[in-house]
Amino acid sequence: MELTVDKRWDLIDKISKQTVKFKKYKSTLKEVIGELTVKPLTGIPIAIAVLYGFWSVFSSFAGFFTDGFLVKLFDEHWLPWIQGAFPGGLHNWFYNLMVDVGHIQNGALVPSNSCFESFGALTSGLFVPFGVVLPAIFIFYLMMAVLEDVGYLPRLAVLVDTVLHKIGLHGYAIVPTILGFGCNVPAVTATRILETRKQRFLMMTLLGIFIPCGAQLGIMQEVIPEYMGLIILYLLFGYFVTGFILNKVFPGKTPEILIDVPPYQKPLTRNVMTKVWVRLSGFLKIAVPFVILGCLIVGVMYLTGTMDWLANLFGPIFTHWFGVPKETVGPLVAAFMRKDLAVAQLSAIEMTKYQMVTSVVLVSIYFPCLATFAMILKEGGKELLGALAVLVASTFIYGGLIHLIWILLGVA
Amino acid sequence: MNKKLSEMKYGEEGIVKNIEEDLRIKVSGIGIRIGKKLKMVTKQPIKGPVVVVVDKSTTSLGLGVADKIIVEVKK
Amino acid sequence: MKVLLMGHPNVGKSVLFNRLTGTNVTVSNYPGTTVDYTKGYMRLENKEVEVIDVPGTFSLEPKDKAEEVAVKMLKENRDAVVVCIIDSTKVERGLYLTLQIIEEGYPVVISSNMWDVAKDKNIQIDVEKLEQILGVPVVPTIAISGEGIKELVSKIKKAKSVEIETIVKKVGGET
Repeated sequence: MELTVDKRWDLIDKISKQTVKFKKYKSTLKEVIGELTVKPLTGIPIAIAVLYGFWSVFSSFAGFFTDGFLVKLFDEHWLPWIQGAFPGGLHNWFYNLMVDVGHIQNGALVPSNSCFESFGALTSGLFVPFGVVLPAIFIFYLMMAVLEDVGYLPRLAVLVDTVLHKIGLHGYAIVPTILGFGCNVPAVTATRILETRKQRFLMMTLLGIFIPCGAQLGIMQEVIPEYMGLIILYLLFGYFVTGFILNKVFPGKTPEILIDVPPYQKPLTRNVMTKVWVRLSGFLKIAVPFVILGCLIVGVMYLTGTMDWLANLFGPIFTHWFGVPKETVGPLVAAFMRKDLAVAQLSAIEMTKYQMVTSVVLVSIYFPCLATFAMILKEGGKELLGALAVLVASTFIYGGLIHLIWILLGVA
Repeated sequence: MNKKLSEMKYGEEGIVKNIEEDLRIKVSGIGIRIGKKLKMVTKQPIKGPVVVVVDKSTTSLGLGVADKIIVEVKK
Repeated sequence: MKVLLMGHPNVGKSVLFNRLTGTNVTVSNYPGTTVDYTKGYMRLENKEVEVIDVPGTFSLEPKDKAEEVAVKMLKENRDAVVVCIIDSTKVERGLYLTLQIIEEGYPVVISSNMWDVAKDKNIQIDVEKLEQILGVPVVPTIAISGEGIKELVSKIKKAKSVEIETIVKKVGGET
């Protein structure tokens, strides 16, 4: 038989009175730190310090490995070797797809000297995921795993609850959000911790549109570090504004936060490493095939002239509404597959600083990458159509808005 | 003196006197029940959640929830 | 026979699962990130037994998707033995879920985990008395260091289902 809720608690009270005794004890250091990190006066500065530290380690670690070691490996050894060893040449279409499309210099077609320009499946297709993105994702997941296992995240959730409540979410939503800065795919899965359909829909939409993934951050750090701050500012601004509007527009409840704040724990190396490994291997399984496929599709579209056709078709929208060169169509197509690939492509197009910022923001928001899209489809189902509508609207409005800001500032 | 959990001050302790009916099951899962002793640890600014300690474990509740819990505070 | 590991989020359930099965799984400190459940095998009396790491849940009345999954998994495995993992510093809440599972008729073993943290906080639990009242095995464990795991394994086969009325009578109450 089953008891009623009250009877069950009565029973528990009786059992615990006979078996559990709470004796006096001194608070431990862990608990003192625990309280300090959740009280606003001390907790908020600590949170800012933690996130800033996270960011500094992320950017310097990835840069150290990529610039100091992997770029040399790919550009000075791998690229020249495969350019020589692969049959065919710059005028062979298969060679173009697999190794190097070359570029025009003084009217002549010459081989590329870096894996950012070559755009072959075996050159850029390997360099982007392994050379640039892997170190970034590794350090990201390592730090994330430590923060999780130490028990810091619930405290962060309490601290940010007030702000996130204003956009229809609650403190918990910080977890999918931060995870999204690594990869949106597990972040979409993590929206399950949100309780109502409205919250999950809001979170998935915001993730898919405004949170740049670690792959994209890694490549931005590599090719356009000077614009990063501005781009992220635009994206976070979009995250809050869109969240605020969606919260007003969509019906449904935003439940109050109700969470446990566990004591701090020493993370176990083995647990942290397993977690990092599981996430990294998951990332590689998704990223590598998509980047290579992306290189091939974009390559085929260039070779067959489809890309020029698209660029001419959509050119007016790009140049007039968004104020970016029409060549940006290519990277936008690539962004369907992978954002990192798209940013790498953008970096090879000649444009002003402001056009670059606009186009990277556009690449970030206009469509979640294919893998994320598939995951939202699986998790969100029907809500997806709504998300797509929001997506199209925000891409146009936001892209135009940024252009307008540049015009008003007199720099466009 | 009885007051709402949301109105308790930092460091105040008290015993839960009443919880609104529809909320009872939900908060009992995190250890808050009538007759339990709890201590306010902190309140987040601008209508943020409260953080309380019950039976030596720390829990955070939204202000809307804390409004519906009445606590008898020790003088 | 199957073994289900059930308990609140943050009670070291995934670490215990690793100890029991030795397979690689993600372990998380944060409620929610281990929503996907993990399956593994352990040796019990020279037989391979399936062990399922059920997503953390506070009760059998689900309040989000992860908890729904947990309840579904319990109902789908009528023949399972349930290892209820409770946080030794929060026995009362742990018992709520445990009693619900006992009421459903499942044979139960209790792993009173994070025993070290309870000791730090000077919380004293009378394990024998608890066993006697509930009529199911109760094993103090520290999953992180592996203490108590062997004893827990040896008690799995001693798990049995108990009538809730019997428990109520033992504490001197009425149903």
